[in-house]
Amino acid sequence: MDAIAAFLTVFTDLELLLLVAVGTFAGVYIGAIPGLSVTMAVSILISFTFSWDVYPAIALMIGIFMGGVYGGSRTAILLNIPGAPSAIATAMDGYPMARRGEAGTAIGITTVMSFFGGFIGILVLAVAAPLVSDFALSFQPRDYMLLALLGILLVGSLSGESLVKGIFAGALGIAIGAVGMDPLTFTERFTFDQPLLRQGVSFIAVMIGMFGVSEALAQLHHVDTPAIRQKITRIVPSFGTIRRHLPLSLQTSTIGVVIGALPGTGGDIAALLAYDHARRVTKKPERPFGQGAIEGLVAPETANNAAVGGAFIPMMTLGIPGDAVTAIMIGALFIHGLNPGPMLMIDRPEMFWFVVGALVAANFFMLLFGLTGIRLFTRIVEMPRAVLIPLILLLSIVGAYAVNNSITDVYWMLGFGLLGYFMRLYGWPLGPVILGVILSRLFDDNWRRAIISVREDFGRFFWGILTSPLSLALFTAVVLIFLSQTPLWGWAKARLFGRGAEDAP
Amino acid sequence: MKNAFLGAVSALIVSASVAAAQDYPAKEIQGIIQWGAGGSTDTVMRAVTPHAEKVLGATVVLQNVTGGVGAIALNQVAAAEADGYTLLMGAENPLLYKVMGLGDKDYSDFTPINLLARGTPILVAGKDAPFDDYAGMMEHIRANPGEVRFGSTGPGGLPSVVTAMIQAVEGELDVTFVPYDGDGPALTALQGGAIDVMPAVLGASIEGIRAGTMKPLALFDVTPAEALPEVPTVTSFNEGYAAYLPWGPFFGIFVRNGTPEDAVAKLTAAYAEAAQQPEFLDLLRNRGFTLMNISGDEARAFLADWQRKTAWLMHDAGLTKASPEDFGIARPGE
Repeated sequence: MDAIAAFLTVFTDLELLLLVAVGTFAGVYIGAIPGLSVTMAVSILISFTFSWDVYPAIALMIGIFMGGVYGGSRTAILLNIPGAPSAIATAMDGYPMARRGEAGTAIGITTVMSFFGGFIGILVLAVAAPLVSDFALSFQPRDYMLLALLGILLVGSLSGESLVKGIFAGALGIAIGAVGMDPLTFTERFTFDQPLLRQGVSFIAVMIGMFGVSEALAQLHHVDTPAIRQKITRIVPSFGTIRRHLPLSLQTSTIGVVIGALPGTGGDIAALLAYDHARRVTKKPERPFGQGAIEGLVAPETANNAAVGGAFIPMMTLGIPGDAVTAIMIGALFIHGLNPGPMLMIDRPEMFWFVVGALVAANFFMLLFGLTGIRLFTRIVEMPRAVLIPLILLLSIVGAYAVNNSITDVYWMLGFGLLGYFMRLYGWPLGPVILGVILSRLFDDNWRRAIISVREDFGRFFWGILTSPLSLALFTAVVLIFLSQTPLWGWAKARLFGRGAEDAP
Repeated sequence: MKNAFLGAVSALIVSASVAAAQDYPAKEIQGIIQWGAGGSTDTVMRAVTPHAEKVLGATVVLQNVTGGVGAIALNQVAAAEADGYTLLMGAENPLLYKVMGLGDKDYSDFTPINLLARGTPILVAGKDAPFDDYAGMMEHIRANPGEVRFGSTGPGGLPSVVTAMIQAVEGELDVTFVPYDGDGPALTALQGGAIDVMPAVLGASIEGIRAGTMKPLALFDVTPAEALPEVPTVTSFNEGYAAYLPWGPFFGIFVRNGTPEDAVAKLTAAYAEAAQQPEFLDLLRNRGFTLMNISGDEARAFLADWQRKTAWLMHDAGLTKASPEDFGIARPGE
């Protein structure tokens, strides 16, 4: 009974509801601007809401979190610049849709699917939080390493026409991610004694440069072609469309919740893994992936919003942050006199149900704000290129600067923009580079932790994989996915299933 | 062009310093936090600053500048004007930069405004570890060389200092060190069974200990902690530790040397009052930090003593890149 009352707090108190609404609205627009991140917004809010009560403060933060994760998809679809790392996968198929004049449809699907994913995440948080957090905690360094490896195998999905080029691009990304002072050993790597390189290369700067600036430069080739007219016939997707993608969205939401709940991985990796999953299970997309497949939007958007609920799972049950934003929220709870930790659920269960309630409210507001104002937004892509290109560049520069208030990041961003432009020009895929940068440290750090833990003994390392069901499952997935990308797979399939496999599409 | 730029900059500086001389604070103050959002330094600074803002009657804009074990933030403040409008909000790490080869500046280039609080190290084990206290752990380590996994956070971090202390007192410790990014991720790994023992700060482990998800082995202090009175001190197992304790990480607010005295005095007064606010004291108690609230010569003496003790401890454990002697840091007791 108390739980229900606490859950309804946010709906019965107009002020709280309003704060969630304001937060979500702000979040959608903060999330849409590359470089302005939810993490940043929430940490500013800590000082801002310092003297408030804990409920209003948390309500506002949750609104921003939910809205911000969704907002990243806006610029990804309209301008090919992901507003946040979790929207990288969304750009892969969302932008091609906008170029066909279907930006309205793309945003509509994204919004509804984000709502769906967000809802699944909250549902899991509400009913299975202790269970999921135990599962998330059982991930060992070797499991994180295998997960990263699974992610790196995504190169196959992101490469476009040439797998070899994709592998090289991915390796470049991994190398970029390794630059700087290694936080585990304090040894400098690839720094060539330059103090500038010690801090490493800002991943956001690489992302904005590769997507935003290179896009702007590529657009210069078509500066005279008229902008694509956007047809806004149907924004809210039909019930049939939603139902058709229901099985996929359930699967990708599950991926989102679990990855979100893992401490150390968040919405960006969840969205990429979900995108890869969609490519694997979708037998007949209406359009090929990478050219505007609806499934390519459904998967990452359900996953990254499901990861929001997921991130709260270890935070509320154990006081362990599920991602960067929940890490700051834990700090906020401390400042407001609460003690986030395993005892929070026992001492202050109403706090848990309040958070669940606020998330539900934020999810509804996200749907509302997402579906309104689309017409206005799609005008952006209809602008003449002479206006649009400087706008993209401006947005990229502001975004890159805002991350660390560092002009160096702007130079990195411009440099990677140029590199990205030439890579595009010669048919090198950019997706794998970003993938490599994101996964580089996850893979590298956890590989070292895993092998150090077993005293650098390969035998014990593999014995560990074989004796843990979780590691074994991940390992099997890695091996199978790897084999499925080699010619060996087709041969084995033909031998095993005979002619049946040949006839299958 | 360049001259015009320099002219503009110096004009700006002149006007800023005139403003500073007249009535500090005349504009927004920047607070550069050395560590990331959500960490202990961040939480402490964000909790104390709003109270100080009230006393100062000015806004302090807080910003996290991370990287290089905090050296990026330190260098940024060192490069700013010494006008009291840029504050460095840091932890203990800079005192080891020189011996660790991480930089050529430390807190001796800064004036302490307030050393707010210090943490107490505690040795914790996973709840399934085959030992229950410090003595049991030492026995287990000796019986199973190399098998016990200690979490670490890189040279200079709290775990490395505590480990150096253990080695100084007990002799060579044959354990495996698994590196993590910080004590948060390492304590998570401890609860998941990826490591067995972690030297952590009391505040980070207090909730886990209360809930029974981790076992306290020994408190690295000479007196038991108020928050966890039942946890034995490490000196109750081995008197040898008394030479190094109390020791702990700390949080402080600094300005560049050469900042006008008026600004230093106003900032010092503001933060001294802010650190006494009940909400802030509650936060410190909940997170297991001990209030220090010291400034001026007292703070300087504390910093010098801390640096001497720790730098030599690390040097004797073979963890430094240069001898403390090279930087005029005398061995304690000499």
